[in-house]
Amino acid sequence: MMSTSLFARRAAFVSLFGLLAIAAQAPLHAAANGQSMGFVVTTWNIASYETRFVDECPEGLNVGYDEYWWRSLSKPDRARYTDNGLKSRLERYFNAIRRGPNGEDVCMNPTVVKDPPHRLVESEKAYGMDLDGKDGVTAGRSCPHKEFTGIDGTKGVDNQLYRLLGCVYGFRSYGQFEANENENRKSNGKGMTLIEITGVDNPRNDPEVTVNFYRSIDLYTLDGSGRFLPHGSYRIDTYGGKPRYASQVRGKIVNGVLITEPGDVNLPFYGNYTYQNRLFRDLRMRMTLSKDGDSAEGTAAAYFDLDELMFYIGGLGPIQSTAISNCPSIYVAAHEIADGYPDPKTGECTALSSAFVFKAVSAFVVHDGAAGTMSAGQGWWQRVKEWFR
Amino acid sequence: MSRVRGVALLALALSFGILAACGGGTPATRGAEPGMRLLTEPQYRRIIADIFGEQITIGGTFDPLVRTNGLLTVGSSDAHITPAGLEQLDRMARSIAAQVTSEENRDFLIPCAPADALSPDPQCARLFFRDTGRLLYRRPLSKDELDAAVAVADAATTELGSFHEGLAAGLAGMLISPSFLFVIEEVEPDPDREGAVRLDAYAKAARLSFFLWGTSPDDELLRVAESGELHAPRMMKKQVDRLLDSPRLEQGLRLFFDDMLNFENIARLEKDAIIYPAFSTAVANDAREQTLRTMMDVVLRQDGDYRDVFTTRKTFLSGPLGRIYRVPVSRPDGGWMEYEFPEGDPRVGIATHISFTALHSHAGRSSPTLRGKAIREILLCQRVPDPPGTVDFSKFNDPQSPAHTARERLTVHSIEPACAGCHKLTDPVGLGMEHIDGAGQLRTSEEGYPIDATGELDGFNFKDVAGIGPALRENPAAPACLVNRLYSYATARTPVRNERKYLKHLEHRFEDEGFKVRALLREIALGEAMYAVKQPAAQTAAVNVSPRGKS
Repeated sequence: MMSTSLFARRAAFVSLFGLLAIAAQAPLHAAANGQSMGFVVTTWNIASYETRFVDECPEGLNVGYDEYWWRSLSKPDRARYTDNGLKSRLERYFNAIRRGPNGEDVCMNPTVVKDPPHRLVESEKAYGMDLDGKDGVTAGRSCPHKEFTGIDGTKGVDNQLYRLLGCVYGFRSYGQFEANENENRKSNGKGMTLIEITGVDNPRNDPEVTVNFYRSIDLYTLDGSGRFLPHGSYRIDTYGGKPRYASQVRGKIVNGVLITEPGDVNLPFYGNYTYQNRLFRDLRMRMTLSKDGDSAEGTAAAYFDLDELMFYIGGLGPIQSTAISNCPSIYVAAHEIADGYPDPKTGECTALSSAFVFKAVSAFVVHDGAAGTMSAGQGWWQRVKEWFR
Repeated sequence: MSRVRGVALLALALSFGILAACGGGTPATRGAEPGMRLLTEPQYRRIIADIFGEQITIGGTFDPLVRTNGLLTVGSSDAHITPAGLEQLDRMARSIAAQVTSEENRDFLIPCAPADALSPDPQCARLFFRDTGRLLYRRPLSKDELDAAVAVADAATTELGSFHEGLAAGLAGMLISPSFLFVIEEVEPDPDREGAVRLDAYAKAARLSFFLWGTSPDDELLRVAESGELHAPRMMKKQVDRLLDSPRLEQGLRLFFDDMLNFENIARLEKDAIIYPAFSTAVANDAREQTLRTMMDVVLRQDGDYRDVFTTRKTFLSGPLGRIYRVPVSRPDGGWMEYEFPEGDPRVGIATHISFTALHSHAGRSSPTLRGKAIREILLCQRVPDPPGTVDFSKFNDPQSPAHTARERLTVHSIEPACAGCHKLTDPVGLGMEHIDGAGQLRTSEEGYPIDATGELDGFNFKDVAGIGPALRENPAAPACLVNRLYSYATARTPVRNERKYLKHLEHRFEDEGFKVRALLREIALGEAMYAVKQPAAQTAAVNVSPRGKS
């Protein structure tokens, strides 16, 4: 069942990526009259609820691949492979990761070893949203699972991604993985998400708006200290005259908070040497717009494809040495706790409920590189005077 | 017969009348003494690029010039070179010479190859210095000058064992020579006016070239100067039209407006990064370019009314500028796009550009006073006195002051007698620009308090910053100021008393021509006034000037 090599799947994904990426969605409806508001996402992190004494992980954080490798070695081999203990984890990565019975890379082939169980989050609380059917949208699309209580007391919060990764050092707040992801995007501009809200008649309260997601091909606009600046212009990634990423969902704005209806959304991703076109199923978003319109922050919850997750984790490479992570145990646990989109044949779930927190600054989303089609540009001054006075 | 005679007399009388109307319409001037001025930094850079190519890099710093009559170019007539400045110029000269003679450039910058690359080749060196020296000195080299340059090159080649290094030594000597660094105007007896002098043809060529192109005369202009043809009105007209029709006119006009608008200060413009995080060096540099592009579009490409630069909504934007103007740009990764601010947007004309509003502000806040002063001094050529030495800023800068907006703070000026006189000139116009902050960004409030941005300029009242453009456009001092500055720029000096009527005449001609700058340039360049000189004081007793480059 688990014989398919992740390496082969990564290669297949890369070859299919171009085709997948250019699949543009048809508009849900024509944009209503009104202005548009653009944002560029600046940080995107797993919504991880963490207590001061790591109570959510009562057995402590997970053990990394390096320790499992170390445990498996005889004393002479430890001395031989680590230069008498002088080699750092990073230096011995290429030996340690190939700890399969035939020297396989256990991240590319996570089923060739059987490691101790992965430590899951045991907390009752989590960030996130109720994804599995109370609103009727995803009814029948989930597998049995424990639910969290939201930080604000909301019942039935689904966030199995947090349950899976909340006790992995590198995936916790300020951990290596996410810090790298955000820094990577900031420095090289890959995988930058643009959010464009169209049909806005009132930026504080509007019963019907359309939310569009694109990928930017322009780098972030930063100040001298490296802080994100608002009002930069960002061209969208296009292919053959059409946006590569063009997911669209309906939404509304209530007291300055954008609330979207569930919808499947493709978002670009880059981090830790991996580029992905990520599919977030039934994504809902709550984004609070600052009163001056310069920034926004919010939470997005969705079902996150299991294969995409493991593709990413499998390719993290030597970064895992400092992130204390172990692919095989994560792989097994992820399949055990997957709670969304059961396979029609096997009945096994293929996605994890997830929640992410993000920040954004206002941006001009430039379509087709033509000034006439830019959003939020014409009459900006009038709009600001009217909207944010 | 008598009837025929009468008609003939009438025709003659009419002809005289017409001639009188034409010739008599241009007031005569006596000019001023011929000048000697230091090349300005932009001129220096332009000349090197024109002669040796844009690939030559020039490092180092230039001695600052004192702005005179609103222009650094005029200040260059009073400039001197400090020892530290000479050191810098020497380093630049050596660097430029090394680049010119380098392996990458020598094949197309040196007209000959030495017989032996390790030994002197006086013939090749002479050929190089003859051609290059003529362009650098803006005249042919005298035999002594040429011999000296070749001798330096030969000696250096022998010493260094490399012909090209020797050539570089000779070239560096030329680049540090006063004949290159200073535009030295020579006079000669005027054959048409006994006892009077005129600029020699090379000096005329230099005035014309620096005026229209911002650089040294090119080969053709030097050729007609050398032959003496440039003194002939027909040849002068031909050359003026050639220079005006050249794409290099834009380069020259850019240098002029850059000088007039004080844009050299943009290079050292700093803003408080906490207060204005979006402002950066890239913004400042692009702001300068934006305004110059806008002006070139109005006055050259459209050949429009100069006053339109104060009211045009059309401009050019780059990525960094888009952040400040809050306008989407089609090429955020670089490059420029045309943009027209929509009706209702307060960005109207160059006075609302970042290059003006941010430049004439403090690092952390706007300044109605600095802006008002700049409007009057730079755009209207009016003089605002400097503040008295005893001025007390404590009331204005009092952190405990209940004042929230600049208008409230500046009320101090109106109640302090020592301040009121000058601030009446600056503040009413500057306060009308308060909807633009110190970085050039639009705003409607300061510290949460709404800004009253009403303003007034010489009787023209306006309700916010969008009115400053029309106020300038309708102000007769604005075109008159351009006339004054352009004439100063052409002669590199402040106009003298005997030129007042001529300047008034130019103002009328400018108006008659629809305030078209190209026509004004032509009027000035073809006018005798631009080249008129008086006998230099030291030579009053006897005009005894030997033709240059002939010794």
